[in-house]
This record gives sequence, structure tokens and C-alpha cells, in this order.
Amino acid sequence: MAFSIFRHTAILRALFCGGLAAFVTSGCDQVVERPVAEVAPIPMDAEVVEFPVGEYGANVVETIPGDLATLNPLVNESVAGSTAIGRILDSLITLDAESGEVIPNLAKSWEISEDNLQYTFHLREGVHWSDGQPFTAADVVFTWGTFFAKETDTATGKPAVDENGKVKYRYNSRSTFGQMINGKEPQVEQLDDYTVRFTTPEVYAPFLLFGGGEEILPKHVLYDAFEDGTLMDQWSVETAINEPWKIVGLNMFVLESYRPGERIVFARNPNYWKVNSDGARLPYVERIITKIVQDVNSSNVAFAQGLTDFETIAPDNVAWVKRGEARFDYTILDMGPSSTTNFIWFNLNPGQTEEGKPYVEPYKFEWFSDKRFRQAISYGINREGIIRGVYFNRADILNGYVSPKRKFWYNDDIRKYGYLPDKSRALFEELGFEYRGQDLYDAKGNRVEFSIMTNSNNGLRVEMATVFKENMAELGIDVELQFLDFNTIINKTSDSFDYEACMLGLGGGAPDPYAGKDILMSGGRMHFTNPQQSEPGTEWEARIDELMREIGRHTDVETRKAYFFEVQAIMAEEQPMIFLVSAKDFVGYRNRWQNIEPTALGGLTWNLESLWAEVAE
Amino acid sequence: MIGFIIRRLLTLIPLLLGITMLVFILMSLAPGDFLTPVKAQRDVPAELIQAIEIEFGLDQPWYVQYVKWLGNVFEGNLGHSWAYKLPVSDLIGQRIFATFLLSICAFVFSWGIAIPLGVLAAIYKDSIFDRISAGLAYAALSVPEFFLALLLVFFAAQTGWFPMGGATSIEYEYMGFFEKLADRAHHLILPTLALGIGSIASIMRIMRANFLDTIRAGFVTTARAKGLSEFMVMFKHALRNAINPLVSAFGFAFSGLLSGALMVEIVLQYPGLGQLMYQSILREDQFVVLAAVMMGCTMLVLGNLLADILLAWSDPRIRLEKKK
Repeated sequence: MAFSIFRHTAILRALFCGGLAAFVTSGCDQVVERPVAEVAPIPMDAEVVEFPVGEYGANVVETIPGDLATLNPLVNESVAGSTAIGRILDSLITLDAESGEVIPNLAKSWEISEDNLQYTFHLREGVHWSDGQPFTAADVVFTWGTFFAKETDTATGKPAVDENGKVKYRYNSRSTFGQMINGKEPQVEQLDDYTVRFTTPEVYAPFLLFGGGEEILPKHVLYDAFEDGTLMDQWSVETAINEPWKIVGLNMFVLESYRPGERIVFARNPNYWKVNSDGARLPYVERIITKIVQDVNSSNVAFAQGLTDFETIAPDNVAWVKRGEARFDYTILDMGPSSTTNFIWFNLNPGQTEEGKPYVEPYKFEWFSDKRFRQAISYGINREGIIRGVYFNRADILNGYVSPKRKFWYNDDIRKYGYLPDKSRALFEELGFEYRGQDLYDAKGNRVEFSIMTNSNNGLRVEMATVFKENMAELGIDVELQFLDFNTIINKTSDSFDYEACMLGLGGGAPDPYAGKDILMSGGRMHFTNPQQSEPGTEWEARIDELMREIGRHTDVETRKAYFFEVQAIMAEEQPMIFLVSAKDFVGYRNRWQNIEPTALGGLTWNLESLWAEVAE
Repeated sequence: MIGFIIRRLLTLIPLLLGITMLVFILMSLAPGDFLTPVKAQRDVPAELIQAIEIEFGLDQPWYVQYVKWLGNVFEGNLGHSWAYKLPVSDLIGQRIFATFLLSICAFVFSWGIAIPLGVLAAIYKDSIFDRISAGLAYAALSVPEFFLALLLVFFAAQTGWFPMGGATSIEYEYMGFFEKLADRAHHLILPTLALGIGSIASIMRIMRANFLDTIRAGFVTTARAKGLSEFMVMFKHALRNAINPLVSAFGFAFSGLLSGALMVEIVLQYPGLGQLMYQSILREDQFVVLAAVMMGCTMLVLGNLLADILLAWSDPRIRLEKKK
């Protein structure tokens, strides 16, 4: 029997015209009954927001680079995930968008005991979760209970331990270890429905910020999963697709729908606890439609075509995005320095590989570990050149560890390294180095050369490394550039230590000096030059360790500030991290939006609940 | 026939074992692991990384991880994605439809155009039509899929006639049935073009060559000699015989249904399996990568099997059973 395509046309037609059509739309659309959330009365302790009263009903359209992996805050590691979770869940305290101070949020007030060990939070009364259930102190206690719940040994009934004798936690989350204070857990107790008290095992200054900043989970939704051990599997993308209403929160929005790789839709939380000056419930925005895009560039393109409402614009894209301002009726604002930092460091790890080979050639280690060598390098970098050539003037010089964005913690009175190649040469001479022709040689006659690596997928960094190579060539130093995969770099800097110098950047981080303890302290996992030292290897590292411990221990702001200023001064003098530049923040918004009052710390949408736009008929 | 199918399916087992082992080895050789990007974040406590390393078994050598994974697979569990905390099968289930739809469209588009074009090029051999179609076919063959996709993105951005990515519009959720259908179709046009154009060229050339071979055969002369119309000769007798070799090409096309669209999906931001796989490979989310590789491999074997069966059905000279 012969096979012919033509004989089957009828079947094909049926398949592709009729069958497929139904198939196309039904494929991932599941019609499920969405429970209607109960709308609770406006809470007694509702926060009144003092912005001019606006109109309800507008939708926000925006893009987000990268997709969600989960909406479970205990599991999430992605930026898209944090953004989405941050819209749904809320915390006891928040930061003032202007001053950066800790201000009330779900907690209307708090007291700290005289010995600085007890924190008593008074919760807003009458606040309800997005599904209409009341929010109480039990939710706070439940949330903290998930961090520190221990596995029980079925044989003895006592908490289980691993082979090293360490307690095994049921749910290993970032908060489990992040909220521990020197290896000890803070205690939490419920005093009444609206009062909760934390006791820290020792004086721990950042507790108000770090502890109070934890997102609160709904006990009535997650308790069963907590009990049966499936807590980490809750609020997965599967839930987000099929039963988005199960993700219950206290913040402005709830999840309306989610399509993997395409978009996230948030709807207004009908039970939100902020009201406008007329006493009407906020937010004004009806929906946020978040389109998932590949990267920052495609996100910027969408904004430049007038497709989205709010956008953070990469410094190297500002010029062309600005061109559409009049045509698409949007505004771009320069928000000043960002909190991101870019820096170079040398491998200062004195150890050796298992085969007994030193990580760094001994004669090179001798250069790198002399602060004068690092200072000479720092004087030889043309930071203005980087700002002009790489960032087209959309960056600022970064003198030290703290970005000038963090005004409160920023010490301007530190050693600064302008572009002074002659000073570099003088320092090299002081070290006994000499020039043979144009080339620099050390006292033992070794040519001064080293390799520097950076991650190949960051275009700006690749360009900065190229400028750095040129600057070093002017000093007679030969720099070899290595553009590597990010994972390879992390492996080299944290495991194999098989590198000479590296250029990377750090973004954001919590606005408390203690958030940098893993970078600044010699035992820290991210103490780039030589991580996880058991004892500080140098005097200045020992001093910084001591200062950081004091910063953790003191609650008085001025004392902490003085210690942190000294840390910054030491970092500037010793140059373990040679800071380069900090890109500026740029944001854009469509002009139809009202009540926009951007701040450097809070950005464009810190007052999202008060933003409104006229709804097109 | 059934014996043949069973034998073929049994060869899948050593094949999958070999390939998955290879994936495990390659992933252990690749720099870093799932936790490396986490290590690069400043506020992740070292204790958490250790705890998760133990939880995921990342502290074990690759062969221990492999044996554990195999054990789970034999129990019918493909593993949990580390990033998504979901069974891998659920994760693939979420995305499979979009990719399947795209592949089917590209398949129908390319075969629907290529076969008639190939036949016409053969009938009117050496005519101006033949030459132009040959020129276009070579041009299409020499443009890689991903590059064509990039050009199409640029085209969409410049003209605004087509969406620049995605599978549905923002308003999709609030549309009626026919609007939804139109919206999906609108979003499918560019990915279908990008994926289909390359195969149009190759299928068309195969079809042309086959058809030329056939119309030179003796039975065509016989058919003409007995006075059949040229139309009957070409489309009733020649075409049926010429199409046989394309059946094996169909098997290959089938095997690419779920994995062939990776590049196009990434460039055109089409939310299918390809994107998921790509992200998982970058993220070293092991079990998702393994499931994807296994799926691709199984589809290839099934595609070839299907081609063989179809060939046996359409061509009486081929027998799958061993001669008794």
C-alpha cells in the first residue's frame, strides 16, 4: 500500500483547522474558580498616607529581566522572585525613603529594653491578610519558628544533630543562618495578639533592621505545610500558575496570574492597611502587568518604545532611551550615585595548593602584599577616563568602600587616589623598582606583570579592564586580561585561589555597615583578598575585625558611625580593594503618573500605593 | 513488527544510561555548580551554603550523585529542580505545550511549502523558476536559524508589525476566544518563520532530486506511453514514489519537535522548553538538564522508529521482520 500525503488531506485539515484551534487556546488556560477574598473593614491602626488624593483604576505595565523560580521567600534566590515577593509580603519595619531611618510598618511602634537585648513590637490592630484573615502576633512567631525549627531524632525525640554535632534545621533558609547572632538564635514570644517580643542572645545593633525587616508569612495558610515538612515546596511556580490566590500577603498587591517566561500579573490587595487622606483604602493601581524579558537591554528597549510605565535605565543605555522622551511622553531622571561599587583586588592569600605550590608566585606575592604597591597601582588608574570613556559621564569616582549614595555612613575624609602617574612611579622607586626603557622591573630584576580577570558577560567591566590595562602600560606594567565565565571566577576567588588579580563589583546590600561583615572581616566568606582566615593575617585586618565587632555590639548610632569611619579610612590607606567608579542610577516614568516623588534611596516607586494615573476611557 | 518495536525501544536503555552518565561527567567538569552564583552574594551565610550542599548531595563525587539519581529514576522520579523546588516533570509539563505548538507550526509551514516547490522545480527543471528557487534555497540554507531570528527581532522592532517576543499579549487574559486565537497566531508568525525557513530549503532540494530521479524511471515512460495525461503521470504515479525518501526525513523532523527550537526560542523570547533548558544549563540545575537530554534522546529514537515503520508501510520492498 502506497503512502500519499494527499490522501490524508481531509484528516490534516480537520486536525489543523478545527482541532488545533481549540487546542491552542485551551492548552494552558485552566478555568478554575477563584475564591473571592473577603474585604475586611479598614484597620483601626491604618496608616494615613499624606499624598494628594488620586483616582483609582490605572494599570501599571512594566518589564522585569529574568523569570521567577519560586515565590517562596525561604527558597528564592532570584531578583525577579524578590521583586514579586516584595510586592506581596510585608515586614514589621521599613526604611524611610528619604533619610534611610528605620520607620514603622506593620509594627506601629516598638521599645528596646535598657540592656539593649529585648525588642518589643506593637503591631497595627485590625490589619487583615489579603484573603481576609486577621493578622496577629501569632503570624510573626510562626514566621520565626520556620527559621529555627529543628529536625527531631525519631529514636530519642531530641533535636537531631549531624556528624559534626551541629543541630539540623528542618528548613535551611537564608534567614535560618542569617538571623543567628554569633551562632545563637534570637528568641521570640507572643505577649498578646498584637505584641511580640524578641530577645537577642547578646547586644546586636542591627537587629531592629535585619530582624524587623523579615517578611511575615501567613500562619493560617502555611502551618499545615510547616507541620508535614513540605514548607519549602509551597508557593512554587506551579501554585502561581494554577492557584495564585493561595499566595497570601499583607502588602499592596496579590498575585493574579503567572505565565512562565511570559508575565506576572499582580492585582490590588483589597485588604491593604494604608489609606489616603480621605480615609479610602490604597493603592490606586488596579493591576501591575509585569512582562518577563531576557535582560536589562530588552527591558530598556520596551520602555524606550513607550510600552512600559516605570523603568530603571542602565547608564550605558541612557543616551538613546532619552531620545524618545518627547515622542512617547516619558521622563528620565538622574538619581545620582548608585549603591553599586566596582573594584580591583590582588590575591593576598599566602597559602599553597595541595601539591605545595604557592597560590601566587612568591616574588609577585611580595609586591601585592606591600601596601605601597597597591597604592601605586591606585594612583595610576585614570578613573575620570573610565567615567568618560566607558560610562559617558554617567558614573562617579568611588574613593572608598562606601558609595556616596549612603550619605549617612559615607566618610569623605579618607585618603583619595587621583590620577597621579608620577606619584605611582615615585612609589615604585621607593620599593626599589626600576625602569629599563619603558618597562618596569622589581628590585630582583623581575619584569612587573600580572594578569587580571573579570567576568566576560559584563560589558562595562570588560571595557574598564581594558582601560586599566592601558593605564598600567603607561606605568611600564604589562597586564594580561582574562575574560572568564562568572562561575569560573567565583571558583578561583573562593576555592582554588588560582589567580593574581580580579575586577568585580558589588551591588546594594542592606543599608547597615554590619551587612558588609563578610567582606570586611578577615574570617568572612567574601573577604576577597584572602577569605575565611582563622586569625587575621595582618595588623590592619585585625583592627578592622575589632572595629566591625564593635559596630555589631553598639546601638548608639554616633559611636557606630565613628567606628565605621575608621574602617573606611583603613580600607583607603591599605587599598586591599582598589575602588574604581560607581555608576549613576537612572529611572524613567511615563508622564501620565501622578504623585511621583523619587528619592535616591527609595527610587521611583517607593510610594507606589499613592501613585495614580487617569484611566483612558 | 511488534518484536521490532520492542527491540528498538530496548536499545534506548543503554543509550540513555550512557548519555546521562556523560552529562553527569560534563557537569562535574564544568566550573562551579548550582551554588556558585549563590556564593557570589554577600548576604548568604556560609553555614547555609554548607547545609544546602549536604542537602543536595553536591559534596559527593559525581558517580555517587549519579547512582543516587539513577535509583530515583527507576522509581519513576526524575528529581526535583533545585531552583524551582518542583518535580522536573511538572516543570517540563508547564512549558511543553508552547514548544510543541511552535514546532508543529514550523513543520506544517516548511513541509507545506517545500514539497510543492520541490515538485514544481523538478517538473520545470532548468527553467527560470527552478533557478530562482535554487538560489533562494541556498540563501536560506546558509543563514543560521539564530541569525535569522535576530534579523526578525530587528524587523519587528523597526516596523512594529509583530510582537518582539512572548507567546501572548499583555491583554491576553481578558480576551475572547477568537481574539485569543488571533493573538497566539500573531505571536507565532516570526518564530515559525525563523524555525521553518531553513528546513524549507533542504526539504525542497531533497524533494526536487527525488522527483527528478522518479520521472526518469521506466514506469513513468510506460505511463506516458499508455496515453495518460501528463498531470496524471506526474501527480498520481511519480509523486507517490518520489515522496518515499522524505519519510525518513520526517522521522528526524519528529525527533526535533521538542528540542529543535532552542535557539529560536531564546532569541525571540518565546516561553517554551528551550528557554527553560537554557536557563537550567546556565544555572547548572542538574536534574532539569538531565531530563531535557533524556527527552531529546528518546524523541530521536522514537522519530527514527516512526520513520522506519512508516517506510515499511509505504514501501513494500522494506520488511522489518527477520526473514524466516
